[in-house]
Amino acid sequence: MNFISLQQVGWIAGNTFLEAVRQKFFNSVLLIAVALVASSNFFQQFDFGTSELKFIADFGFGALFFFGSILSITVTTQLFFNEIENRTALTMLAKPVHKVSFLFGKWAGVQLLMLAFVALLCALLAVILYWRETSLMAEQRYEIFSEEGILRYSDIALFGFLQWLKFGLLSAITLFIASFSNTSIYTMIVGFCALVVCQLQYIARDAYAEMDQGLGRLLVQGIGLAFPNFQLFNVGDQLLFLTEETLPAGITVRMALYAGIYVAAFMLLALASFRHREI
Amino acid sequence: MLPLLCSWLWQAFVTVKFDHPLLLRVRAVFLTVLFLVAVGVFTRPVEDVAWERVKSGQTELNLASIEGALGQGIIVGILGGFRAITADFLWIQANAVWERKERATFDSMVRLLTTIDPRPLFFWINSARMIAYDIPSWRIREEGGYDTVPDWRQREIDLEQAEQAFALIERGLRFHPQNSRLYLEIGQIYLNRLDDVEAAAPWFLKASQQPDAPHFAARIYAELLRRQGKNAAAYTFLKDLHKRLPDGDLFARKGIILERIRTLEETLKIPVEDRFKPY
Repeated sequence: MNFISLQQVGWIAGNTFLEAVRQKFFNSVLLIAVALVASSNFFQQFDFGTSELKFIADFGFGALFFFGSILSITVTTQLFFNEIENRTALTMLAKPVHKVSFLFGKWAGVQLLMLAFVALLCALLAVILYWRETSLMAEQRYEIFSEEGILRYSDIALFGFLQWLKFGLLSAITLFIASFSNTSIYTMIVGFCALVVCQLQYIARDAYAEMDQGLGRLLVQGIGLAFPNFQLFNVGDQLLFLTEETLPAGITVRMALYAGIYVAAFMLLALASFRHREI
Repeated sequence: MLPLLCSWLWQAFVTVKFDHPLLLRVRAVFLTVLFLVAVGVFTRPVEDVAWERVKSGQTELNLASIEGALGQGIIVGILGGFRAITADFLWIQANAVWERKERATFDSMVRLLTTIDPRPLFFWINSARMIAYDIPSWRIREEGGYDTVPDWRQREIDLEQAEQAFALIERGLRFHPQNSRLYLEIGQIYLNRLDDVEAAAPWFLKASQQPDAPHFAARIYAELLRRQGKNAAAYTFLKDLHKRLPDGDLFARKGIILERIRTLEETLKIPVEDRFKPY
C-alpha cells in the first residue's frame, strides 16, 4: 500500500497526542478520575459487604472503565472535528497525505493518550492498594494474609491492557461514526449509544440461544453478531486476588486478537466512508 | 435454485446504479451491517473460548440471573466496576424506604440492588430478615394490630412473607451455593418466625454440610431432631458428630455434645455397656 506511510501516521499520531494532552477536557477528566481513585478509601465507608481491598479495586476499575470510555469517545470526536472545522484537514490532505494515514494517525494519537490515562490510573490504583494491603498486614486484622500478601499486582496491568484494547475499539467505532457524521454532537451521542449496545450485546447473544426459530431470533442473532462484545473485557471481578486464578495467556491473546480484528474492521469502514467525504 | 436467486439478487444489488440518495444510503447501511455480521461470524471462534471463561467467573452475567429484571440487567452491564458502590448507595436508600414502611418500593429496591451486586451476603441476609420479620408486623398493624387480627390471618401473612424471603435467599444461593449462612437463614426463619421445627431441621443440616459451616449448625440440627421426638436419630447424629469434630477447637464444644449424648442415652434407656465411648 503506497498510500499509507508509517512516518506520516507517526507524525499525525504524535501531533494528535500533543493536541489532546493540551485539551482542558482531557485534563479535567483525568483530574476527576485520579481524585476519585485516590478517594476510594473514603468511599469505603459506604461499603456493606465486600472486603476493603476488593472494594478499592472495584472502585478503581470502575473509574478506569467509566472515565476511559468518556475520554475515548469525546477526545476522538473532538480531535477529528477540530481538523475538519479548522480546515487543517484540508491543508493536510491536499499534501501527499492519504486519508488512510490521516485516520490511522488520529486513531494512534488517541490510543497514545489512552495509554497514558490507563497507565496513570493503574499506577495510582496499585499504590493505593499496596498502601492499604501493607497497613492491614501490619495491623494483622485478618488471618488470611500470608507473608507475600493477597494481591497479584500484575493483574492491574493486565486489566489496564484489556481496557486499553477496548478503548481502542471504541475509538475506532467513534472514528467510523465521525467519518459520515456532520456534527461532533451527533458523533458523541451515537458513540455513547454504540458503547451501551456493545456493553449489552451479551444479553442479545444469550437471549437468541433461548428463542424459538423465527424472524425475532434472526434479528437478535444479527445484533449479537454485528456488534462487538465489550463485556468480554470486563474481567475485573476475576483478577487481582491470589485466591483467584489469573487470566490464562491464551485467553488474553484471544481477546487482543478479537479487539484487533474489530479495530481493523471499523477502521476499514471509516476509510470507506471517509473516502467519499467532502471536506 | 435458492443460491442462484440469491446470487442474482446480490449482483443486481451491487451493480445496478442507484441514483436516488436515499437508495444509496440504504445500500451503504445494508452493506455496512452485512460486513459487520461477517466480521462477527469470523471472530466468533476467537471470542467463544474467551467469553466462556469470562462468563463462568461472573454468574451475574448469565441471562437466567437477570430473568424478570432485564432492565436491571442492563444497569449491571453498563455500570461495570461501579456496581459495588451503586449497590451500597441503593442499600442506604432501601433502608430509608424501610423506615417509611413502603413495602412495594422496598421489594423492588431489594431486587434491584441484589441484581446489581449479588456478591455481598449482607444484602441477601438482611433483606430476607426485613421481608420475613419486619414486613409481617407492618401488615398485621395495617390490618388492625396483633390484638384484632385473628391468629389464622397472622399466620397467613407470616407464611406469605416467609415465602418471599425464601425466594430471595434461593436466588442468593445461585450466586453463593456453598455458603452456610444462607441455608441457616432459611432454617432460622422457619424456626423463629414460623415456629416450624420440622421444616427448619433440614436447612440446619444443609448448612452444617457446607464447607464454611459453623459448628453450631450441626448441634442445632440435633436439637431440632430431639424436639421433634426423634431421639434415636438425634443420638446417632450426635455420636457421629462427636467423632468427626476436632479435639482442640473450642467452638466445636465437644463437651456439650457429650453431655447431650449422655442425656439422650438416659432418655433412650441405653444399657451402660452399649453407651457411647468417646475415647
